Amino acid sequence: MRHRGLLKGCLFSLLLALAWTAVAAEKQQGTLIVAIDTLGAQSMDPIQETRSAHAHYQAPMYDAIVGFNFEKGGAGPGVAERWELAKDGLSWIFHIRKGMKWHNGDPVTAHDVKFSLERTMSKESIASRGPGLRRDVKSIDVIDDYTVQVHTNGVQVHFAEGLSRATYQEGQLMPKKYIETVGAEGFRKKPIGSGPWKFVKSVPGDRIEYEAIDYPHYRGTPHFKRMILLLVPEESTRVAMVSTGEAAIASISPEAIRESKAAGLRVVSVPGTMQAIYQMYGLYLPESQKNPLADKRVREALSLAIDRKQIIEHVMYGEAKMPMPFATFDYSVDDDTERWQNWSREAFRYDPKRAKQLLAEAGYPNGFELKFASTALAGTPFMVPIGLAVADFWRRLGVKVKYTNYEYGSFAPMLRGEQKQLVGVVSMYRTAGRPAAAARFYGAFHSKGAHHLLGRGKDCPKLCKTFDELHKAVTVEQDPVKRTEKTNRMIELVSNEWFAVPILEGMGYWAVNPRKVGAFKAIPGRHEFGDLFQRMPRPEQKPW
Amino acid sequence: MRRYILRRFLQGLVLLVLVATIVFFLGRLTGNPADLMLPEDALEEDRVALIETLGLDGPLHKQFGIFLANALRGDLGDSIRHREPAVDVFFSRLPNTLKIVPGTMALALILAIPLGILSALYRGRMIDRVSGAIGVLGIATPNFWLGILLIYVFSVQLGWLPSARMGGPQHYILPTITLGTFLVAGFMRLIRSSMLEVLDSEFVKLARIKGLSETIVVWKHCLRNALIPVLSLWGVLMGGLVTGAIVTETVFAWPGIGRLTYEAVIFRDYPLLQAVIIMDAVLIVIINLVVDILYAYVDPRIRLAE
Repeated sequence: MRHRGLLKGCLFSLLLALAWTAVAAEKQQGTLIVAIDTLGAQSMDPIQETRSAHAHYQAPMYDAIVGFNFEKGGAGPGVAERWELAKDGLSWIFHIRKGMKWHNGDPVTAHDVKFSLERTMSKESIASRGPGLRRDVKSIDVIDDYTVQVHTNGVQVHFAEGLSRATYQEGQLMPKKYIETVGAEGFRKKPIGSGPWKFVKSVPGDRIEYEAIDYPHYRGTPHFKRMILLLVPEESTRVAMVSTGEAAIASISPEAIRESKAAGLRVVSVPGTMQAIYQMYGLYLPESQKNPLADKRVREALSLAIDRKQIIEHVMYGEAKMPMPFATFDYSVDDDTERWQNWSREAFRYDPKRAKQLLAEAGYPNGFELKFASTALAGTPFMVPIGLAVADFWRRLGVKVKYTNYEYGSFAPMLRGEQKQLVGVVSMYRTAGRPAAAARFYGAFHSKGAHHLLGRGKDCPKLCKTFDELHKAVTVEQDPVKRTEKTNRMIELVSNEWFAVPILEGMGYWAVNPRKVGAFKAIPGRHEFGDLFQRMPRPEQKPW
Repeated sequence: MRRYILRRFLQGLVLLVLVATIVFFLGRLTGNPADLMLPEDALEEDRVALIETLGLDGPLHKQFGIFLANALRGDLGDSIRHREPAVDVFFSRLPNTLKIVPGTMALALILAIPLGILSALYRGRMIDRVSGAIGVLGIATPNFWLGILLIYVFSVQLGWLPSARMGGPQHYILPTITLGTFLVAGFMRLIRSSMLEVLDSEFVKLARIKGLSETIVVWKHCLRNALIPVLSLWGVLMGGLVTGAIVTETVFAWPGIGRLTYEAVIFRDYPLLQAVIIMDAVLIVIINLVVDILYAYVDPRIRLAE
């Protein structure tokens, strides 16, 4: 009797799968063509890509161990359905989704997870977080086919979020058995993943082609049969291609929003992809104490002198938001979002009268000379006009701004070490949208961080030491409530000092031809659409 | 003649070594690729580790020594971004650029020769003025702007031609016009001035006195002589076409070596940048060598001077 029941169950599952396949195959049709500004290294091997372009072209075919919260943004279930921090805080346990398969039919197991992390940490990997993972991970154990335990060096409360493409690329899953069989070169020539799109062809400098899977997938099964990602570096050309229907979607900058709307295209804005900020270097040094910027009132005055709403309206064509404190967004974890939204409304107001008053109180009623270095990081060319607008507001305040524009490749070396060329200088910068702010805070403010705005080595004053201690306390705190409380204190500490000041919260922008693709929603904080393509409906289908 | 060719060849070799040296050191003055590859929150130790993985550690002079030794063996290193031999990346893109060169050259010569001759023959008349205006416009119009304008008119508004990318014959029309406009103008102005010079020479006057028809005077005697300086310009522009199609290739999403050069600069991909510029220099040296040889054959005075 039991066997008969089992048989019936199997038959039913088989019929269901066949029915699904038939329906899916019938439904999938057409080609989704997307024109984008970069294909990065255009390598289908995840350990050979270092830039955010992975989220354009690797994400369609590779799943990540931790996925997205599609509604709110930030991390959510991925290949791991759930995960938990061990009681001692020294390891993370990931529970792998059952029933997943690679594009060659092999099952996805915990062994693939261990293999992928170890491959990403290997010496041959140039994945940008590879060295960070080597530092953080002690060892990896496969508990069973669907459970992995990652032992960390010390408590790493944000480790799991780092395995989501909401944060980094290093959680991408690679097929252990396949790579061991065909070798790394074989894998690069004919890669397979477990995502909703299968690799078909890559033409260097031109395009990558994919074919949709025709079975259920936790990220969704594609509505289109094929997809092509085209590399089109020139923005006007991308907009023209979407206008003529040669492409369905194209990445654009704020400058192209009006042009796109005038051409009858829909503009999709992805909220919370970055913050445009300015920051001040080396003010902790003894020799900087005579610099007007060393006075907190001056720093606050500079912020109050900026009319952020005007910049949003005129530089970003209305497609940006008032910012929250440094590196925090609506989808941030471990902080009190509502509190910081309220704080930002007051703190980031435009108040030139109060700004002048603060300058006068600080002893600079007639302004002072300020060196301003403007630069634009990859993918955010609009940083330059934002910087120009900021400089103009400061000039209105009476500050004599000495403005220099740097190509980012030339600016980046100045950030290293003692930052001698930047001491006492204000520069434009941006911080990318990530769910956990702690890592960004480390980079900007920690005495061992890349920017070390509060101090470094022996020149680490009280504020610098307090920050270092607080940051440590945040990153090892296992109790979420206490972690939120400590994170709030950390945000408060740096926000009230005005060393790194948000100007606006930027968005990612896309021009969409409604005749070629249906309506869809972006994932907050993730500019690239690699995790979304499978959800995009065809024009005649219901919006997603 | 052999001595002439040998001397040109040796000059070419010296030039290549100079180019390699300049590219190696200038490239490194502009920043390190590791800075562009790491996330904002990376530590200094992460940077050191990546630089080591990329093979960019060690003193500069040692790196240069290794680079030169490898270059002599034909190995220009692996692209940092593409993780494959830089020379292979160059040759994978070169055919795409070469595909638009013949059309561009043909367009330039088909339009420039008749217009240049007519301008010279009807000097100061309406056709000369119109040609002059075309020449000035062709030289003054930035091909970046021209490319976008052509896309807007012929793709977006009229829908006659594709906006960009490689494909069927219709995909070649707009890039060819964009790239060729400057050449048409340049060739036309040069042919006009050469023709004017030749038309005023003694042997042309003699030909006319002898009663030869104007067609024979112009096409056989004048044009042949007027084309000598054009040949030398052709060599220079041909090299420029192959290596300098950066803007056109970017506007039309054409995956050629012009765009590859741009990408190598932006990403500080030193090995690729070195390979592209050295290979470009090799191409230009070869083209100029061929032109010099042709020039010597066409104009016996050069051989005699040697």
